[in-house]
Amino acid sequence: MRRPTSLYRRLLSWLLLPLLGLGALMLVQAYLDARHTADRAFDRLLEAATLAIADRVQWQDDQLWLDLPPAALEMLATDAEERVFYALYDGEGNFITGNARLPSDERLDQGHGSLQDALQGVPQDGTRGDTLLYRDITWHALSLRQGTRRSRLEDWSLQEHFEVRVAHTREGREALTLRLLRGNLAYIGAMAALAIAALLVAIRSALAPLTRLRNAIRSRDPRTLAPLEIPLPRELAELRETVNDLLARMRRVRANQERFIGDASHQLRTPLAGLSTRAELALRQDDPAAWRSALKAMQATSASTARLAGQLLSLTRLDNPEATPDLAPLDLNALARHATREAWTSCHRDGIDLGVEAEETPLMIDGVAWQLEEALNNLIDNARRYGARRITVRVTDDPPTLAVEDDGPGIAKDQRLLVLRPFYRGRDGGEGSGLGLAIVDGIARGHKARLTLEPTVGDTGLRVAIHFTGDRQ
Amino acid sequence: MNLSTRLPGTGARRPALTLMKSTLLTRGLLIISLMISGPLLGATPFPDEETLHFPATTSPAQPLERLTVHGALDIPQIRPLLEDFHQRYPFIALTYRNLTTLELNHRFLATQAPSADVLISSAMPWQYRLANDGYAQPLTGARADAWPDWARWRHELFAVTFEPIVMVYRRELAERFGAPQSHADLLDLLEEHSDALRGRVVTYDPEKSGAGYSYAVEEARLSPRYWELVAALGATRAVLEETTGAMLTGLEEGKYWLGYNLLGSYAENVVAGNPELEMVVPKDYALVTQRLALIPKRAQHPAAAQRFLDYLISEQGQRVIAERTKLGAVHPALQGPGTANALRARLGNALRPIRLSPALLATLDDLKRRALLARWQREFRRWQVTDEASSPRAEDAGSPPNKRAPDARADDEANAARPNAP
Repeated sequence: MRRPTSLYRRLLSWLLLPLLGLGALMLVQAYLDARHTADRAFDRLLEAATLAIADRVQWQDDQLWLDLPPAALEMLATDAEERVFYALYDGEGNFITGNARLPSDERLDQGHGSLQDALQGVPQDGTRGDTLLYRDITWHALSLRQGTRRSRLEDWSLQEHFEVRVAHTREGREALTLRLLRGNLAYIGAMAALAIAALLVAIRSALAPLTRLRNAIRSRDPRTLAPLEIPLPRELAELRETVNDLLARMRRVRANQERFIGDASHQLRTPLAGLSTRAELALRQDDPAAWRSALKAMQATSASTARLAGQLLSLTRLDNPEATPDLAPLDLNALARHATREAWTSCHRDGIDLGVEAEETPLMIDGVAWQLEEALNNLIDNARRYGARRITVRVTDDPPTLAVEDDGPGIAKDQRLLVLRPFYRGRDGGEGSGLGLAIVDGIARGHKARLTLEPTVGDTGLRVAIHFTGDRQ
Repeated sequence: MNLSTRLPGTGARRPALTLMKSTLLTRGLLIISLMISGPLLGATPFPDEETLHFPATTSPAQPLERLTVHGALDIPQIRPLLEDFHQRYPFIALTYRNLTTLELNHRFLATQAPSADVLISSAMPWQYRLANDGYAQPLTGARADAWPDWARWRHELFAVTFEPIVMVYRRELAERFGAPQSHADLLDLLEEHSDALRGRVVTYDPEKSGAGYSYAVEEARLSPRYWELVAALGATRAVLEETTGAMLTGLEEGKYWLGYNLLGSYAENVVAGNPELEMVVPKDYALVTQRLALIPKRAQHPAAAQRFLDYLISEQGQRVIAERTKLGAVHPALQGPGTANALRARLGNALRPIRLSPALLATLDDLKRRALLARWQREFRRWQVTDEASSPRAEDAGSPPNKRAPDARADDEANAARPNAP
């Protein structure tokens, strides 16, 4: 099972890993620095020793001559008791004297004191114009640091080049490197500890508003939908606004529901009260004819109440977002013709001209047949109740559209959204329940179809259309 | 060249015969030592007086170990030490071979495969050079750590003895001119009585003796007045010998009255047996030479070698050196006669041990050697040239030093500042 990710841990690892990498880099850098510093310090010894030796080089008996000063060798050996090697070579690279035939440094000196030398790190001894070269060598399995001084003898008639090479083992340098590194390590360690501590504090304080938000949400009364009012940093403020928007929508939904329930109970109570009154009145009379007429009226009222209850039921079912209708392929043209035929008789009795315009060829869509028939019935019924004399059911293609047009008074533009609400009666004088269009809207939403209300072509009456935008087969 | 002078010495029956071997350092003698070592390498049985062997007695618990020690230290001197070691470690079959310093060095460098397990030599520069070049392996352990810093180099080179360089004189000299107690006394004596002492003074020939050369290097570094001493020695026509043994022989025979720069450890034995001779450790300064021991990296029996070297620097081993040899014990815990501590207590700051430092490498530099010897010869001949140039004034031969004598006397032993010898 995967462990839930922790924001704290994620932040910590993403900050610590680079920090550790950086620390490792610093360690390497510190070691290189310490080594470099130690080398520079000890290279001075090589420089001094070569200088002391070079000072004693003379021309004698037609050859280079060296009266080796013992101090030159002694200065190469520090407390670390390094092994010491020296050699004197002439200009042609011939060995003159020494205790080791040290290899020559292949690097060339490119003129004395030139800028290029300075740039290439070939140090110059300012006073003599000699070239000094240092390098690490491995000689007879010993790891040595060698210093080479190229110099020349200047005599009345003579310019003799020579090269002094000295070398010693690295013990003293390594000891100094370690000592320097130890100092640096303490420094780097302290810095790392400080950085980590600061990091922990920073992450905790950065995540503190989240805890505050959580606590604020947790401590709320579960029934309240009032917006959250706590100060939060910008990133979390967005979250808070989103939550507040959601809460606002929930408030509106709840208000709608409350109104719906109120309206529904009111709607149901009125006919029931009427029924009760009518029954009372009839009971006070002894005339069976009056009873009969009362029963007739009561039958009509209970029928319309039953119809209202049925509509409420289907509306509740349609509004349930978790009930997804089982869509099946059906022929929209056939469906329109069938529904028209059903309604035609009653319309014809009332003198209303109901017609259908649909192609003979099938127009297939995915839908629930009984819902669409219900929607059509509701629309036709609606049109009749609001005084239409001529009703046309029209099916058009591309996109598949089921439309009902009437020549009634129509709906003002600002009312068109409101009429979709349950129990809203946009047009006065009607005798509908006020649920018809709301149910149609619910069915359209269930089919992912778009519902439009607009005037007919002649700018009179109303055209209600369901556009099946998506799933044309 | 020196063949004739040396060979009789080798054949001599005196204890001095091996002494000279330890002091044969010169390059010139290399050829001779090759001639000696050549046959030796071929023939396994060594002359008895050059080799000492202690067979091992083993037990099941303690398997046999072998150990070969090459030393430039004659057998009578080292025997007590080896016997004591053998008593402590009877399971080690110990072979000691006595060689000259030069031979020892050369054999070590020449032999590719088997090498000795421990090298002991008084030729400090040569031993130092071997260690410096990385031929030695370190000895670890508490004793090695505790060994005084001035007598140790890198745990690879251990100075195990403490031998002052001394003067030896005959009673006649003390009776006639007084006994010199310091270098300043000696200089005065030589300058005042250069005629009387003509041919009666003997010292090392720095050109032919490695020991003599390394003392000359050290003394020249110590004070420029050394050159006055050399000039004074030259004025007395001092005889130059190659070994302490030869000098002691001449002194015993009455040929010489005064010997300058003798190895104390050898002189002490001879002087003790001869009432005519007296030994003096100079009071102003006395060089001290030390025998250096090292374990080669190529040692075949490193474990036994480390045991032996560890024994050499142990208190027991050093006590044997102090009590049963004249070599001088270094161990700081030891007191009493025959120890460095006793010598220090007596002579204090006058002791100048030759330092274990890279300066020893400079001693071996060929050009350096030629330069120093040239100067030495120049100084040695200074008054001789004057003599020969003005032979009529032969009886004045000693006069130049005499003229400068008041000057010299004015200097006290601490060597007041004085311009370099002319």
